[in-house]
Amino acid sequence: MTPRLRLDIEKRYDSFELHVELEVGSEILVLFGPSGAGKTTTLQAISGLLSPDAGEIEFDGEVFFRRSRPGERVDLPARRRGVGYVFQGYALFPHLTALENVAFPLRRHKGRGKPEAAGLLESMRLQHLVHRFPREMSGGQQQRVALARALAARPGILLLDEPFSAVDRPMRERLQRDLRRLQADLGLVVLCVTHNLEDAFGVGHRLAVVQDGRVQQIGRVDEVLRRPRDLHAAEVVGVSNVFHALVVEASADGLLLDWDGLLLEAPPQHAEVGERVPVYIRPEDVKVLYPDRRVGEALRTNRVTGTVVDHHATGTVASLRVDLANGHEIEVRFPEYTYAPLAIRTGGSLDLCLRRESIVLLTGPDAVVPPAVV
Amino acid sequence: MIAEALLLSLKVTAVATVAIVVVGLALGLVMARTRFFGKSVVETLIMIPLVLPPTVVGYYLLVFLGSGGPLVEWFSLEVVFTWHAAAFASFVVGLPLMVQAGKAAIAGVDPTLENAARTLGSSEPGVFFRVTLPLARRGVLAGSVLGGARALGEFGATLMVAGSIPGRTQTMPLLIYDAVQRRDYDTANLLVLVMTGLAFFSLWAVRRLGDS
Repeated sequence: MTPRLRLDIEKRYDSFELHVELEVGSEILVLFGPSGAGKTTTLQAISGLLSPDAGEIEFDGEVFFRRSRPGERVDLPARRRGVGYVFQGYALFPHLTALENVAFPLRRHKGRGKPEAAGLLESMRLQHLVHRFPREMSGGQQQRVALARALAARPGILLLDEPFSAVDRPMRERLQRDLRRLQADLGLVVLCVTHNLEDAFGVGHRLAVVQDGRVQQIGRVDEVLRRPRDLHAAEVVGVSNVFHALVVEASADGLLLDWDGLLLEAPPQHAEVGERVPVYIRPEDVKVLYPDRRVGEALRTNRVTGTVVDHHATGTVASLRVDLANGHEIEVRFPEYTYAPLAIRTGGSLDLCLRRESIVLLTGPDAVVPPAVV
Repeated sequence: MIAEALLLSLKVTAVATVAIVVVGLALGLVMARTRFFGKSVVETLIMIPLVLPPTVVGYYLLVFLGSGGPLVEWFSLEVVFTWHAAAFASFVVGLPLMVQAGKAAIAGVDPTLENAARTLGSSEPGVFFRVTLPLARRGVLAGSVLGGARALGEFGATLMVAGSIPGRTQTMPLLIYDAVQRRDYDTANLLVLVMTGLAFFSLWAVRRLGDS
């Protein structure tokens, strides 16, 4: 991946300080984090709607913004940056139809604006609503019109702020597919803000965890989710299974951890024997075992029996809380109906395997750093 | 005489209304979208003709427009006792209504929409004329109608700076006063009906704009 967009910006507010460094190539980078972390502010700075206090923003060699020492200042106005922006809530012009919205940036192309906008809407399968006003469209339709409008001016960068929050699940998946295809076809630099883990997975090539105005970690989506760099990053990606264990053995083959009486094997990671370390396992990586079936090699170790204390289903994902023998609770997540034959119920007993390969130590920056390249 | 007063009123009101809309919109935009030191003082000064006695406004205008005032001294423009002075007086008393309505209407436009236009390549005038103004059009229209109606009915300040010269500065409200003085009740009755009709129509139009 060759970086095309580079930014290193600072912005100070009364109670909050933003300092974001990013390099983005032709890819979809997801900015992930809690609200108020600085994600939207970062998008606004890239688009030129907000001026940082200091720093630099550069795209394909063109300086969008630079303010380093007193006297030197470049701040290209938003209209000259060629950055497409899909706003949270979409910000479609309510007094214009879908067609007029998409043709809005094309007015200078005399006579060609409307036909070009119509073609763009057609390519996004929206031809049936060209003459509708935004209030007459569903959330998903508005989202696609907003996307078409942002692309109409042929931007090099596309920014999306919570683009999936107002659409239902099937539409969401379709939009994510569309977005990935568009990015690949047009070779766009895409930054997408979300605080939804599934959306991050569904659309992103890489993920940047943003918290307290800083990029805490950046890497491939699955890498970041599987191996949060530290407790901070783990909290942000919304993990529940973080616990503290004592390192009993550490060798090139792996680690042996003592979690208050429960012995767990883990892959080799940087740790000292006798150290107490934060440990993390994704709820999806806790496997439920059928008591009467043979298990594969990978699930032989780290087996444990517990009591189900809570059973929660969303319609697609089942989430269990299981009380283990060592007095701790662990969260288990799997697609609903996967273990239907087991008739899992609250109060019942359950055999689990905490997959060895998925046990991650959260020991800070110099622990497991995921490769930063797609 | 009646026809002359009617035509003069229309001319004065037309000129004053155009000025009210242009200046009022600009001030409304500034008041709605910017913050600066002393903003509340400036806003109060713009509004003050609404509550001052017309004679006080007229006196200020005389000082500003009359001999010794900046217009005469710096630009050698003698407008006192001409219809220009009447138009200026109408402008000053009608302006606050336009600023108030325009400010509220512009403040009601989501700034995100203006930002969207910026990222789509619009210049600042483009943002105003293609996004802000169309979305604020109801309030802006209501402000223009109210400001124009107030300009049409202007009496006190006009009398002080433009006088009541038949055929030259005697607008409808002034002619009504003159007719009553002369006990010419036919003229007075007719003009009172015309003025009432215009006022009613203006307010009704503003209500309709607000409803739809």
